[in-house]
Amino acid sequence: MKKSALVLMTLAALAGTSSLALAQASDGILTVATIGEPPTLDVMQTATDIVLTIDQHIFETLYTYDAEWKSVPLLAAGMPKISEDGLTYTIPLREGVTFHDGSTFDAKDVTASLKRWMAVNSKGKQVSGIVESLTEEGDHAVVFKLKSRYAPLLATLSQASVIMPSEKIADTLTEFVGTGPYALKERKPDQYTQLVRFDGYKSPEGAPSNYAGKREAIAKEIRFVPVPDANTRVEGLISGQFDYADSLPVSAFERVEKSGNAKPVIFRDAGWASMNMNMKEGLLVKKELRQAVQVALNPNDMMMAAFSDDRFFSVDASIFPEGSFWHTEAGVARYGDGNPEEAAKLLEAGGYDGTPIRLLTSRQYEFHYKIGEVAKAYLEAAGFKVDLQVVDWATLTTRRADSKAWDIFITHSNFPGDPTTINTITDTYPGWYVSDQKAKAVATYMDATTDDAKKAAWDGIQTVIYDDAPLYKVGNFNAVSGVANGVSGYEPTYWPHFWNVTPKK
Amino acid sequence: MARIAQALLKRLGGMAIVLALVVTVVFIIVRVTPGDPAAVMLGSDATPADIAQLRTKMGLDAPLLMQYGQFVLGILQGDLGQSIFLNQPVTTALAARAEPTFFLTLFSILIAVGIALPVGILSAVKRGTVFDQIVVTLTMVAASVPSFWLGLILIQVFAVGQGWFPASGYGGPETPFLERLHHLVLPAVALGVVNSALITRFTRAAMLDVLGDDYVRTARAKGAGEGRVILKHALKNAMIPIITVIGLSVAMLVAGAVVTETVFGLPGVGNLVVSAVLRRDYPVIQGALLVVAAIYVLINFIVDMLYILVDPRVRL
Repeated sequence: MKKSALVLMTLAALAGTSSLALAQASDGILTVATIGEPPTLDVMQTATDIVLTIDQHIFETLYTYDAEWKSVPLLAAGMPKISEDGLTYTIPLREGVTFHDGSTFDAKDVTASLKRWMAVNSKGKQVSGIVESLTEEGDHAVVFKLKSRYAPLLATLSQASVIMPSEKIADTLTEFVGTGPYALKERKPDQYTQLVRFDGYKSPEGAPSNYAGKREAIAKEIRFVPVPDANTRVEGLISGQFDYADSLPVSAFERVEKSGNAKPVIFRDAGWASMNMNMKEGLLVKKELRQAVQVALNPNDMMMAAFSDDRFFSVDASIFPEGSFWHTEAGVARYGDGNPEEAAKLLEAGGYDGTPIRLLTSRQYEFHYKIGEVAKAYLEAAGFKVDLQVVDWATLTTRRADSKAWDIFITHSNFPGDPTTINTITDTYPGWYVSDQKAKAVATYMDATTDDAKKAAWDGIQTVIYDDAPLYKVGNFNAVSGVANGVSGYEPTYWPHFWNVTPKK
Repeated sequence: MARIAQALLKRLGGMAIVLALVVTVVFIIVRVTPGDPAAVMLGSDATPADIAQLRTKMGLDAPLLMQYGQFVLGILQGDLGQSIFLNQPVTTALAARAEPTFFLTLFSILIAVGIALPVGILSAVKRGTVFDQIVVTLTMVAASVPSFWLGLILIQVFAVGQGWFPASGYGGPETPFLERLHHLVLPAVALGVVNSALITRFTRAAMLDVLGDDYVRTARAKGAGEGRVILKHALKNAMIPIITVIGLSVAMLVAGAVVTETVFGLPGVGNLVVSAVLRRDYPVIQGALLVVAAIYVLINFIVDMLYILVDPRVRL
């Protein structure tokens, strides 16, 4: 009797400490379960989704994306003044903005930060190739002088090109000081990243729209907790341990919905899955065979296998989804129900000799693997032999860099603010899509300075992509996350953000 | 005495050889495994030139023999290298994660032994009864259950259902020590229950072996009480195989923590190893596996020493 009483008392004591923890969490703190630990907080160095998600609360860029994924001012005071020849961008800067360390934001910080960005960031390096000079114009403006017109400039200044105090800039960052609504307090790798409200924050004006508009740091603290296991994120959300859980499996949708403690949130068109083809070496150097791959596949079946339910995906041949400024049907071809007879004709025309296609996929993203399985079945039905190679993601990224090692790899991307920043369009991205007609179409885009001219140029690029067949767009997928009941004001975005979000009372 | 010292030295020499082999094998395995830390770190936007530049900065393009030499030299100086991703020494990263893994292992083994010894002894004493059959069946089931599955069930029942324990993590900033330990209850139960099955079966088998021996019969004939016969005469003689399996279980718990820590989101050494493998953080993989191997070897050494304490006839 005494022993059982002791056990009960111990359990009660342990349960008591849990209630205390939950009470603390509701006191203005948002606990966010993320898919893993960020490799670094230096977003210029590593602009992956998890780093961007956390860093956008600490750092700000000159421009950011609104609901249409157009670049609008954030630390800039307005849109740039562009010279008639399209080669000089004068960007006005907001006044009265301070960094978390109390120093004042000015043009010197912008030039120093952007010079580092152009030296270390992949997109920044591309920009550096066309920048002749970047200078300060007084304390509150900077001037970009370009060697040639470059339409994606503002889009690239809206992501990892964060501004930090010039004195804090170093090869390896040791202090993470920005102008954002939250300041970094402590980071314990694999345990938490703790951000606290920045009381000196000066918000931009306007109604909130995607990442643009007014930003209010309501919660006094945000804790990003890495929880790599998706099921644990679900259970932690339902049990009340987390206020928000990122990237939930679609199979957990009903469980979260029926829990009564949290609600699932769908973010439509979070990204798109694609099969990238090797144009440099191997079988698919022949255009007919790449087109045969496209004709053979059935996107609906692949997406259904990957996402189980059509609430979580859509099939759309346009590279950008419906509702996006860049959505277009221009040039769409060979995107249908899977036609083995037509594919067989193209195989013959391409002189296919029965060599297996090496199809690389990964189980780290389960939907990649499922897409690969269905693709294999359709390609075999068309007459291809398929060598499906399932590896972990790190192996895949290494293997795809070797043009001799693969023919197709499966990946996914988000929808970027500027269409020419899609990886496949770059000559050096694995797949090595180099073509004269692509280069001409991209050059037309780069020359464009108005939205209408850019849109027309993008139509041309998509048409060329469908003709050259460097990739097969499988479909668009939605992201599922979960928000605890009592948390209000959360608006789903690709990189979830928590300004303007009110924690549980 | 000199003979014992000589035997100890011999055993320590053996341990050093095992660890040297581990160091070499781990170094080779992580280098031949495809995957590049620079590519993982830079993300999918990175160009081959960016990756090559970072590889140079990290020293990953140095000849393998040179990298191996630096690694071994570092170990001899107590330096396990610098984590590529965490930007801190591997020893610091391991030290920061030692607490949850240590307490998780400690609680798990206490739970495992706490269940296994009494149940195993009782099952042997009551051989053939309904209780014994239930124990045999349950231990078979428990031994077949993966600890991560049991962990998920415990989360659903005690974290989500009852709200008694947190579902994951090791607490936030300023979380007091007791509250941090509170996060370890469910993972320790998940690991401990699964490991108790093996120890229970060994305890039962070892006790059955000795309960029929002459000295036990003699003790009973001399009028010793049943408790004294079982605990003093039988159990003491059955301890050698039980200590062996407990020692092996502790070592297995360190390895089992890799999966359990991932499921429960515990920032321990196991979780660090999983993250390091996914990111191809070579120094962390090498350092963590070396430390785990050293613990394994040390536990075996301690078990050998315990043999002598339990049974003075045992020679090293």
